[in-house]
Amino acid sequence: MTRTTVHRTYSGVSVTRTAPAPNILQHIGRLLWLPMLAMALMAFPVGLALGLARAGLVADGADGAMVAALGHFGTAAMFIGFASVFAAISFAIARILGVFRSGGGGIQEAAGAEVHSLRMPAAGKAFVGLMLMAMMALVAAVIGHVIVGSGLASGGTALAVGEQWALWLEGVRRVATATYLLAISLGLTTIATVLGFQITRLGELPSETAR
Amino acid sequence: MSSNLNTLPRSGSIRRSTSSALSRLGVSAALGGVLLATVSLVNAVAATEVAAGNEAAVAALVAWSFGVATAALATTKLGVAIVLWGIVGRIRARVETMTSVLPRLINPSQESVPAGGTHVRTPFGPADVTRHPPTELAIHRASRLLWAPMLGMGAMAVYAGLVLSVIQSSTVATDATAARALGAWVQGIQFLGEGMLLGGISFLLGTILAGLRGGGAEVQAHLERPVHTLQMPLTAKLFIGLMALGVIVEMAQFGLYAYASTLAGDPSFAILATWLGPLREFGLGLLLSGIVLALATIARVLGFQFHRVTGLIGRPASNEVTS
Repeated sequence: MTRTTVHRTYSGVSVTRTAPAPNILQHIGRLLWLPMLAMALMAFPVGLALGLARAGLVADGADGAMVAALGHFGTAAMFIGFASVFAAISFAIARILGVFRSGGGGIQEAAGAEVHSLRMPAAGKAFVGLMLMAMMALVAAVIGHVIVGSGLASGGTALAVGEQWALWLEGVRRVATATYLLAISLGLTTIATVLGFQITRLGELPSETAR
Repeated sequence: MSSNLNTLPRSGSIRRSTSSALSRLGVSAALGGVLLATVSLVNAVAATEVAAGNEAAVAALVAWSFGVATAALATTKLGVAIVLWGIVGRIRARVETMTSVLPRLINPSQESVPAGGTHVRTPFGPADVTRHPPTELAIHRASRLLWAPMLGMGAMAVYAGLVLSVIQSSTVATDATAARALGAWVQGIQFLGEGMLLGGISFLLGTILAGLRGGGAEVQAHLERPVHTLQMPLTAKLFIGLMALGVIVEMAQFGLYAYASTLAGDPSFAILATWLGPLREFGLGLLLSGIVLALATIARVLGFQFHRVTGLIGRPASNEVTS
């Protein structure tokens, strides 16, 4: 193995003879970005429709508990959409990283050089961890809304308790959404790092293939 | 050489070290947004006030915590945009490196192209084959021009809404009608800002796509090879549609909230406010869905470029990804 500029500049470089396949997370990203997007595109109109139905109940002077219950269900539908669309963005980023991994390796292999690939950087690991945490928090908030909404609709939960839970869950949703966006910024940082690595590696290829 | 430099993002000054600094700055901004968002946990205090039956205190707490939380989410989005700006610079550096390195790697050409151009099928979709780099697409030009103004206006709108939310929380106890009217303005203006921020991020992704398209063509023209350019994939067309629709919905909700503010003392205010909340979130959902499709398009275009470069070098890779 030749110790080159990429080894001095980047820690965690693996060397192989052939281009590596996408890793398991990148493979999952390639498979799941579209189903997640489809789920989001179904959930958003449902959330909007429930909001319109709730406005109809308000206009008709319906029972406050029913109005509050529908509010919880509408928010749950909308945030199924947000959890799905953020997951789709994360999976699309993983898919891009998979393309870089295989494509960058493919160019090195085609040039007849050793294939140097960057191992998952710290930002990439933080991206995956924070994404999972944020997704779980959003899903928990959605489940909370469904439980409270069901309680209000059946009369098992008092209106004031439903309002308290709405405030609590709103706080959880906001922190989870911000965390998801932080995860996405880390995923994009990983793309920037991989681009820098590939630029450096590309510059080394002519001297290696000439040897 | 038939240069296509004018179609590339004007980011030549963003070098690799600057790009790393932008990544760090973007992640720091996003982290700051998360910390600011934890202020929303003040809602726990509001929940206790609900139990105590202190409605004015609840309304005041909820008013400013809404403003702060929306500003926090806007700050994380700005962080994402800053990281993307760094990526735009790296795309440019990648083109420059390929232009200087590939002439020493590629095999002698047997490729030819008819004078009028032609099309080829690739694992990534149909591609145009021309002698010279194609002209820049209107959406790419618009993306390059508009991402910065959209982000700037979006940030200003969200932070102006934050100031209004603080004023709103201080008027809740004295004038409930004025507080409701201010609340309508806060929600309308802050979500218009959120929509513009996501629009700015969408335009940054469009700028990256412009850099990949123009840069790829520039490299091939520099090598004096036929210029293969991927035709616009369906995901890119849908991205443009969803982005436009999302921005329109956010502008509409702003207009409707402005109208609702004139009805603050009227019973119809509650009805309007009930469905405007889901509407503004629906608009953001459309914009985010468009961003997913833009990222999917970037993955496809990158795959196509790796396929083309590998073909130019002359030896197929053993492990090519086809999408």
